[in-house]
Amino acid sequence: MTQVLLPRALDELWDFLEEDPNTAVYSGGTDLLVNLRGGRINPSRLACLERIEEIRGVRDAGAAVFIGAATTHTHLLENSLVSSEFPVLTKAIRVLASPAIRNMGTIGGNIVNASPAGDTLPPLYALDAEVEIVSRKEAKRMPVSDFIVGPGRVRLGANEIVKGVWIRKAPEFNVRHFEKVGLRKSQACAVASLAAALSLSEGGKIERARLAWGSVGPTVVRSAEVEEALLGRELEIQMLAEVARLVERAVSPIDDVRASAQYRRIVAGRLLLRLAESGCKN
Amino acid sequence: MKIDFRLNGAAIQVDCAADRRVIDLLREDLGLTGAKESCGAGECGSCAILVDGEGKLSCLMLAAQLEGREITTVEGLASEGRLHPLQEAFVEKGAVQCGFCTPGAVMASLDLLRRNPNPARAEIREGLAGNLCRCTGYQKIIDAVEAASKIMQRRERP
Amino acid sequence: MGEVRRHKRHSEGALHIGASTPRADAYAKVTGAEKFAADYYSSDMVWAGVKRGAAPHGVIKGIFTDEACKAPGVIAVLTHRDIRGSNRQGVVRKDQPVLADKKVRHCGDAVALVLAEDRETLLRALDLIRLDLEALPGVFDVEEALKDGAPLVHEDNAGGNTLLEAHIQTGDGLTAFERCDEVIEGRFETPWQEHAYLETEVGWAQQQNDGKVVIVASTQTPFRDRAEVAEAIGLDLEQVRVIAPYTGGAFGGKDGITVQTLLALAALHSNGRPVKMWWEREESFIAGTKRHPTRLYYRLGAKGDGVLHALAARLYFDTGPYDHLGGVVMTLALEHAGGAYRIPHALLDAWCVYTNNPIGGAFRAFGVTQVTAAMEQMMDMLAARLDMDPLELRLKNALTRGEKTCVGVTLTGSTGLVECLERVERHPLRTERYAWKAAAGPFKRRGVGIAALMHAAGYGTVVPDYANAKIELTPEGKIRIYCGVVDMGQGNASANAQIAGSILNQNMDSMELVLPDTDRTLPSGSASASRCTYTFGNALIGAAEILKNRILQKAADLLMAPSTDDLTLAPGKVVNRATGAQIPLSRLGRLMAESERTAISHFRAPVAKDRLDVTDELRLHGLGHAVISYGAHLAAVEVDEITGAVEVVSYLSATDCGRALNPQIYEQQIHGGICQGLGFALFEDFRVEQGTVKSPDLATYIIPTAPDTPNMESLPVELHEPTGPFGLKGVGEIATNGPAPAVANALADACGIRMFRLPMTPERVLLALRGRETR
Repeated sequence: MTQVLLPRALDELWDFLEEDPNTAVYSGGTDLLVNLRGGRINPSRLACLERIEEIRGVRDAGAAVFIGAATTHTHLLENSLVSSEFPVLTKAIRVLASPAIRNMGTIGGNIVNASPAGDTLPPLYALDAEVEIVSRKEAKRMPVSDFIVGPGRVRLGANEIVKGVWIRKAPEFNVRHFEKVGLRKSQACAVASLAAALSLSEGGKIERARLAWGSVGPTVVRSAEVEEALLGRELEIQMLAEVARLVERAVSPIDDVRASAQYRRIVAGRLLLRLAESGCKN
Repeated sequence: MKIDFRLNGAAIQVDCAADRRVIDLLREDLGLTGAKESCGAGECGSCAILVDGEGKLSCLMLAAQLEGREITTVEGLASEGRLHPLQEAFVEKGAVQCGFCTPGAVMASLDLLRRNPNPARAEIREGLAGNLCRCTGYQKIIDAVEAASKIMQRRERP
Repeated sequence: MGEVRRHKRHSEGALHIGASTPRADAYAKVTGAEKFAADYYSSDMVWAGVKRGAAPHGVIKGIFTDEACKAPGVIAVLTHRDIRGSNRQGVVRKDQPVLADKKVRHCGDAVALVLAEDRETLLRALDLIRLDLEALPGVFDVEEALKDGAPLVHEDNAGGNTLLEAHIQTGDGLTAFERCDEVIEGRFETPWQEHAYLETEVGWAQQQNDGKVVIVASTQTPFRDRAEVAEAIGLDLEQVRVIAPYTGGAFGGKDGITVQTLLALAALHSNGRPVKMWWEREESFIAGTKRHPTRLYYRLGAKGDGVLHALAARLYFDTGPYDHLGGVVMTLALEHAGGAYRIPHALLDAWCVYTNNPIGGAFRAFGVTQVTAAMEQMMDMLAARLDMDPLELRLKNALTRGEKTCVGVTLTGSTGLVECLERVERHPLRTERYAWKAAAGPFKRRGVGIAALMHAAGYGTVVPDYANAKIELTPEGKIRIYCGVVDMGQGNASANAQIAGSILNQNMDSMELVLPDTDRTLPSGSASASRCTYTFGNALIGAAEILKNRILQKAADLLMAPSTDDLTLAPGKVVNRATGAQIPLSRLGRLMAESERTAISHFRAPVAKDRLDVTDELRLHGLGHAVISYGAHLAAVEVDEITGAVEVVSYLSATDCGRALNPQIYEQQIHGGICQGLGFALFEDFRVEQGTVKSPDLATYIIPTAPDTPNMESLPVELHEPTGPFGLKGVGEIATNGPAPAVANALADACGIRMFRLPMTPERVLLALRGRETR
């Protein structure tokens, strides 16, 4: 039998973690319990974070928004601050897994799990989100792209947890797009995905561009070359098709049971074409 | 460990391993076999229950997490021999075939209707996206949820 | 166990044929009260589980169980040495060991059986068993398996790796192609399809004090199971009782032994304690049967006006290491290879082949799904070549009653293909297709495709296809039906209540159903082959009529009526229309002797009378059917040019399955069949590499979810089938055959690509689209 702890506050959690460093931390359990069942992990104790108020909920901090790590996807989906400031995140969460998994799983779990297919990650990369890491002694922040170093690998030390994520408001972005390619419409693991935040001028020229692709590399992919290539251009198909070639070079996908590297590479580029529709609407 | 919670409207205390999966606690220890296990990994929705009114998967919850919660299983929906309107609609609209996914689909539908009392058909499909069914092709389940939503709204109006 | 099902219903009126009466089982299922095999637990219960070889092919040098035996909480560890019977099971050919003895032949082969106090102990004990396997080269491709020198799956099989082969020539065979104006060729590949029933293989068993082993299992075939279990583990038939509750889905995957023999064996070693075995999802995927993957070579020839003239086909079925039902599946596919078309000349060759892949077995529509996917694409390819409308081409060649199929079977029953095609032809989805296609949005292409279907029911000419229905007026005045055929979710138990209730003029509250139980109900064959309501329903009509006459006679005697002429059954009673006198059924039930208030009737399904020029073996495997359903399907699809994803926007079907006894249940069957067919067409890609399953769970094996499924319209074309109960024909399987070809044809219509390999995943579609661009 494995002990299951339900800390009510971070201080209580620190005690538990210091007592036994092989204590696994989880919140929704939608990944951890699957891994336990599959025999892939064998922690000596479990600590469930779902009741620690300090790391739950969405807080407006003026220029930025703080989202607690143990905030469920459903909570974010229904939160008007998130949907008005970061519609690209809301769009991603809307197609994340299934309703019950969204009721359980949390944004912190999605970040720490660090799957290249994690649905909230491309939006967080495109929004230049920062992860707040806390231990009993200190709190620090780092960009999500620095925090995640590989599939399932993050910069998290012993007795540290992710407290939440900070996202700067960026009203200048007037095109916020997310698309996931999966093997079916819902409850699908991403084969490729694209999150995009663009600022279009009144004349339709791209003034700022941040794009991030999921499932086409060991971590979410951003490409300065691609983003620069878009600047000053209009969202029309010919231009996007040209830039798609750059995307194909920027990504480094693998073959797996869901799709070939070739398909992922092609689709990563072609997903740009959908932005032409946003161009028309603006 | 001893865990106190409310189950289908009544307070209950169980004494079981903290890491016992909730699905096993319900089915094996408490004899509530309405929630089904079909994948054990959160892919099928057969084991859905309500935890404080929210649809969750009992195969991905540990018993310790039940402490202080209000749990509803499919067995807790009918009252005094009368089916819940959603159950009634599942029966009348032919939404039940083999029936193994049915309890999970009913629980997921309750979660959906609580958040969105008048969903469009496409929204019902999205609301049931986590509930695999291999018999019905989903259409009659959608019909049932749609019909139930109308009945439930009518009843809630004064 | 084996309790009688009573039903809470709200309608007062008597049941009648043609009404969408809600199903008898729905109430208990929607409240969670229904007890599936998975829901059987008892105190003092033992968990049983299986150690599998986990190698595709190897000689068993040793099975080391000592450590597992010694583990605390382990009750027994059993191997083939502990089996007293034949240790072989199988439906047609008994070639599958219960516990592997000399070799393992696929990754799912069971090698040892463990009994433990709880599931955690069981899993630990399974890990402690060590196998010494000497790896053998495996064979994983049907055509490679047939070559000289290929590794042999069964060294003692006379045909090498051939389980069954068949060759049928009609008319002039191949020479007829010389007289064709157009000849089309195609090579098609279809994948394994996993049943993915929500209730995985599960059962519960206990040996009673008298030595009898009672098995409650999720099965389609309790009577056949009983015989197989008894023979395999060395018990007398009378020492085995199999009880079959409603299954949580089966679709052919529970047509035959899954857990039953292992459970019975475990029950012999558990000191009388009850035993439960429940396969995990991954175990079900690895060890369970699947729809056979096929490779199909087609050549179709026609005259310039579109009249079909010649067909040549070579069909390869991968049955994995065991027959299971492979030969029978192949034979039904062969019979349907040319569809419901007039083709005077044909040469059809088929092979069912042993490999070290997962086991092929029965899956709803039983081989017909695969050949229809090929043949109906061939029809569209021919239509395109001839510049003809695909529906017109089908109408021109559609068989009508009295004509022969291309294998020489005469269609003696109702034959509604033309009517089905005409219903589709008049539907707005077809008549307004050009406008709909033209309205596609950016990066979208739209297309509409059709498919014509036939599906034969029953066991064919040799294997007796019969049912024995028993019905009883209980002393409480209820009508109790002893169902001989399993209800695996398709609603045949409800249909039985509706049939008997309509004859006896009773409402649902008066009906009681006893589900199949080898000790209580009578042998009536398997729940399969679109035969359940057709065969059992016919038997039940006979039994209900006998009971009706007896009830009326008894009532006449008691009411001192001169004859039964004025008497009529009403809900709960018999009424004398002339005098108004009444007598409740409960009184009649108490006054009638058991032999008087119980009626039994036997029905044997008709068989094809044609004298086909084929081997006895092929006849034994079922060639030649008499009762056939027909259908026409239409899929309207939208293809995304950016991702290659295919969305089925609308789906239409018209089906001639005779009279629909309950239109709601009829629609349920059509919807479910279409959805599984759409899975086969678009999503379900069971991956196996060198015998190893790469898609072992529901996260990697993708079945349709609610948002993936279109709105479906299912038009009944209710031609009366004279041999059917109230004019019914089977509807359980036919719809599964339509989606793959209809969607493939729609995809070709949308963007000019032809998919020869299923499923039509976004990746395959996108790469085909790019291939077209670069050509």
